[in-house]
Amino acid sequence: MLDKNAIGRASPPTLNEVEKGAIRRFAEAIGDYNPIYYDEEYARASGYPTIIAPPTFPASFHSAADLRELLGVGIKSLLHAEQGFDYERPIFAGDRIYVSTRVSDVFERPGMSGKMDIAVIEDEGRDEEGNLVFRARRTLVVRAAKETP
Amino acid sequence: MPARKLYFEAIRVGDELPALAKAPVDRVQLSRYAGASGDFNPVHVDELYAKSVGMPSVYAPGMLVMGMLGQLISDWARGGQMRRYNVRFIKMVWPGDTVVCKGRVSDRHGSGGRYFVEIDLWAENQKGELVMKGSSQIQLFYSLEDENRQRSGQSPIVVEVPRESLSNATANAAAPTSPSGSAAPGGEDEDPDERHAGVSSKKTVPREKPAAKTASLPAAKKAKK
Repeated sequence: MLDKNAIGRASPPTLNEVEKGAIRRFAEAIGDYNPIYYDEEYARASGYPTIIAPPTFPASFHSAADLRELLGVGIKSLLHAEQGFDYERPIFAGDRIYVSTRVSDVFERPGMSGKMDIAVIEDEGRDEEGNLVFRARRTLVVRAAKETP
Repeated sequence: MPARKLYFEAIRVGDELPALAKAPVDRVQLSRYAGASGDFNPVHVDELYAKSVGMPSVYAPGMLVMGMLGQLISDWARGGQMRRYNVRFIKMVWPGDTVVCKGRVSDRHGSGGRYFVEIDLWAENQKGELVMKGSSQIQLFYSLEDENRQRSGQSPIVVEVPRESLSNATANAAAPTSPSGSAAPGGEDEDPDERHAGVSSKKTVPREKPAAKTASLPAAKKAKK
């Protein structure tokens, strides 16, 4: 059982600068060649100020979070079970986004081999004025490292 | 020249997104994704490590598959803005697997000049097995007219569109007001291009006519560039 006291534990915001090259490489890695991720003129003609990032791009953002520290356990393995994003607006090339991570829930769920420990980790991205840009939620099945007896 | 945009008025509950078959996943793609995402978890890039922890080989990170399903949405909803996107990872995707992304409109609603469609999404491998399941909410302009009004600083077209369930759509499709019947769920044999081409003929559902207070559309036309 994970420590319920972990709920609410958070990391300080970390600055992520959204670079065009990073957007391009991310879209290429997915195999998504929509010109909205590559071509400035196309993006402007589509009504955006500049190229935008694919919806899962926040997965590439850094945060200061160390899950071991946040959850307070050694981790043997993590299984990514669910992922969700809420977007206030698209992410644009040139954005400077501050990402912070917090433990939004820990609980047990019945699994195939007994109870599973679940942690829900929420990332929040804000622009320099403090406006919310996105929220991301990861639901992880956590197998804590066995403590030495 | 940007591709033609998708507008709320053209979408019906039950519409299918044109399926997207991705190229087979290979280890080079896994390396590229690791580099692009900054996630160098060795189970995705280091074959020896993956085998040492009991896996038959490296496997794709769930977020890569979520990115593929995201492409399905963005390709379809050009001009729309994604508001929400959630998935559940069901089955691992291995090198050599082909991911096929699919989706269907599950609901549509609008209020106060903001219009949303809800999409059910899923991804299958080449064996037809479900590897991921999810949903998304997209915000769209009601119509080209609405977009032009808003981009020229005018108020949006306001049409109250209550949430529609899939069962309501079936009822509507059966009613004489929807001659094409294209809102019927399960219309898998429908040609998506034909559907998009045919939108203009079925945009008039009586209860969705713009409210009288927003009937100043000719003025909006003048404001168009």
